[in-house]
Amino acid sequence: MSWWPFGRKNTAELADFVRKYLESNRISIPNIREISRLNFVVLDTETSGWNTNKDEVLSFGAVKIQNQSILISSSVEWYPQVDMKGEKAATIHGLVQTQNQLEPGLFFQKVLAYLGDGIIVGHHVGFDLEMLLRIGRKFGLDAFPNPVIDTKILTLRLEHGPRADFNHFKPEAYQLDQVCARFGIRLEDRHTAAGDAFLTAQLLLKLLALAQKKGIRTYQDLMR
Amino acid sequence: MNVIVNRVAEFLKGYPPFSFLSQENLSLVARSVEVRYYEKGAFLFQKGEDPLPHFLVLKEGKIELLDGMEIKEYCEEGDVFGVLALLGKRPYLLSAKAVEDALIYAVPVAVFEEMLNQNSKVALYFAAGFASGQVVVRQDLSQGQIARKTFKTQPKDHSLLIFSDQSQIKVSENVLVALPHISIQHAAQLMSAHQVSSLVLVDANRFPLGIITDKDLRNKVVSEAKDVSRTAGEIMSTPVVTQPRGADFSDLYLTMIKHRLHHLILTEDGTEQSPVCGIISDHDVLLSMGNSPAVVVHALNNAASLAEMRAIRDRAEQMLRYYLDNEVAMDFVSSVMTEINDTIIQKAAERVKKELDSKYPECRSLNFAFLSLGSEGREEQLLRTDQDNALIYEDVPEALHQQAQAYFLALGTGIVETLIACGFSPCPGEMMASNPRWVQPLSGWKKYFSDWILTPTADALLKASICFDFRAISGSTSLSQSLSAHIYDQVQKKKAFLSFLGLNALKNPPPLGFFKGFMVEKSGEHRDQFDIKARAMMPMADLARLLILSHGVVGINNTFRRFERLAELEPQQSELYSQAGKAYEILMRMRALEGLQHQNSGRYIDPESLGKIQRQLLKNAFVPLSELQSLVEVRFQLAYFRS
Repeated sequence: MSWWPFGRKNTAELADFVRKYLESNRISIPNIREISRLNFVVLDTETSGWNTNKDEVLSFGAVKIQNQSILISSSVEWYPQVDMKGEKAATIHGLVQTQNQLEPGLFFQKVLAYLGDGIIVGHHVGFDLEMLLRIGRKFGLDAFPNPVIDTKILTLRLEHGPRADFNHFKPEAYQLDQVCARFGIRLEDRHTAAGDAFLTAQLLLKLLALAQKKGIRTYQDLMR
Repeated sequence: MNVIVNRVAEFLKGYPPFSFLSQENLSLVARSVEVRYYEKGAFLFQKGEDPLPHFLVLKEGKIELLDGMEIKEYCEEGDVFGVLALLGKRPYLLSAKAVEDALIYAVPVAVFEEMLNQNSKVALYFAAGFASGQVVVRQDLSQGQIARKTFKTQPKDHSLLIFSDQSQIKVSENVLVALPHISIQHAAQLMSAHQVSSLVLVDANRFPLGIITDKDLRNKVVSEAKDVSRTAGEIMSTPVVTQPRGADFSDLYLTMIKHRLHHLILTEDGTEQSPVCGIISDHDVLLSMGNSPAVVVHALNNAASLAEMRAIRDRAEQMLRYYLDNEVAMDFVSSVMTEINDTIIQKAAERVKKELDSKYPECRSLNFAFLSLGSEGREEQLLRTDQDNALIYEDVPEALHQQAQAYFLALGTGIVETLIACGFSPCPGEMMASNPRWVQPLSGWKKYFSDWILTPTADALLKASICFDFRAISGSTSLSQSLSAHIYDQVQKKKAFLSFLGLNALKNPPPLGFFKGFMVEKSGEHRDQFDIKARAMMPMADLARLLILSHGVVGINNTFRRFERLAELEPQQSELYSQAGKAYEILMRMRALEGLQHQNSGRYIDPESLGKIQRQLLKNAFVPLSELQSLVEVRFQLAYFRS
């Protein structure tokens, strides 16, 4: 799972925008960079289901954090065209979005340009990335090279120390709703990709403040 | 507009000035927002720092604005702050600190300025706030506007609402003008002869050339020792800023704010190339806003009739409500209200005396003092609750005795009646200057106090507790001073009196029951209500009086100032005293708000109707009270006196 585009198993041809994206990620962030100087991309997706082999991304919502501020101006909400029957998708979260759907190539190009070399953040973000990669593989991407922070794991680490194990806690306790409730973040616009991304971004601001209080100051400390 | 922008816009929409924006502009502003998080204790900015390129809206949490260690303002959800520095392009006047974890929406100044330019309502909203020295732009405006629409008859004097209608601002049409070649001295003579603060210099066509104000005379003439025989044209301020006659009030006001003008000249067509036809000063603007204490006092002094005084006093009540809603510091609020009440009394004394003097020519030059007692004497009367007052006059020769008594009784009665006409209720115990018993010569008053101090019966103690807080409002203060001297002299001679006062102060049971519930009234009209006056405020005022008397301090009447002084006198107890002072402020505030809300004295509060936070605040306010009670119990050895 290297960012290096050689020796790939993927047979799809590497699209130009993917190549450009990979290029932009070649230089890694210096370890000693202060947390306050890091750029984050907080994202969430809505999907037609939990199966990463069968289900599809229905929407992508994200917002950026720079200088420890959530930039509302950077917020996006995109909907890729989906082959699936509309009814099935609609049953998930009542999400019926027919207008402004983007053709998958354009959708993914926009997503990658948006991600750039930012640190990808999400709650249980591995799933979202896996789902996005389902589209990405068609364009030759087989892994996201960006550093990734899962707020679920970061929350556990900050609440119970670096050696804490999810097996010791109720799984619900680390769902986004419950974590937000614990951190005093009002739940609004749940179950839209952008709404959840905004919640996660607020959570990240609070987590980063907490981290800094615990002596986690640099990129290296954070990613450890 | 995506979900996130929408979320931000939805929040902003609820609070002014954003509530004035069109949907389109609102989304523009929302899109530009940056969300920041500050942990409890963190500073958002420090006094003296250059302004951030953003102004700040509090989304969640609580911010306090500090001047050094002193808290000036609290910000709550929806409040806009940090604007003053940005607009004035000067360093922050206060520091902002998060008292709770706080989420902030930061709006870039560029977007903000765009808003100001496009939307005059928004501009005026801020201008009005700043003109009255507000640091925080409060969120209650929109509610105020709704309220105002509902109660159309209310006077248009909410200082923040100046722009909604054509305001009844007074533009003076008689502008003092002169040609520029007159001497400076002549110009000044004209200004003083007409009692105005500005003179407009015009050419032969009456087109404005420049303006001379008091400030010009100060800055350009006196301070530079300029020869006053030079021409006035040399010191005038140019160019003049003009507006057309009949311009919208908001345009006038905005122009003045923008150019930082004290005077704005009106011409026929609004340009400099047209004759002068009016002038408007910032004082006129202030008067039209009507919510400044100076304006109210000024208006009282010029009131022509009793009805007018009453109306002005009613207006002052609105000002009080505004202050309380905005959590203005209590000592300021109480001094303002005291000043207003005092002005009414002084005016009343003047009027009544004028009427009486012809009937009692031999008494007119006798010295007297009208004394306010009780809460007004302590400068704590916010609402027009019972008046307690008295009159003291100089000792007169035997022959004049009867006449003086009649004259001063008539004077006292006249003042009391004026107060009643202005909405103060009469004292049920007849402790007023209309009761012959409380209109006495100095020797009579001295005897009263000596008797109370020597034989402290229950009745004497009650009277003493009211009369001890006397304050001379009108007339000669030398009489009240010699009475004070007499009292402290007597108290020093009979220290045991203090212990009796102490017993009296502890007579009221503590406000909280065994299970920390409020001690409510058991029966009668106010059953299940909490008597905040008898159970909390009076005991505290009594304790403060007792303690300050025991230190022999004269001249501080106000309860929280007494606590302040006590904290200085007894450094080892300073914590307790300063808490007690704060607690008293909270109680005053609660009572006043309760009274305003229910249009009564605010004395009885239904604990059930209080919110959780208010209830907690109230309970916390009792903590210093019970500590003070035990302190007094020990210090004045009250256990011995009870037996």
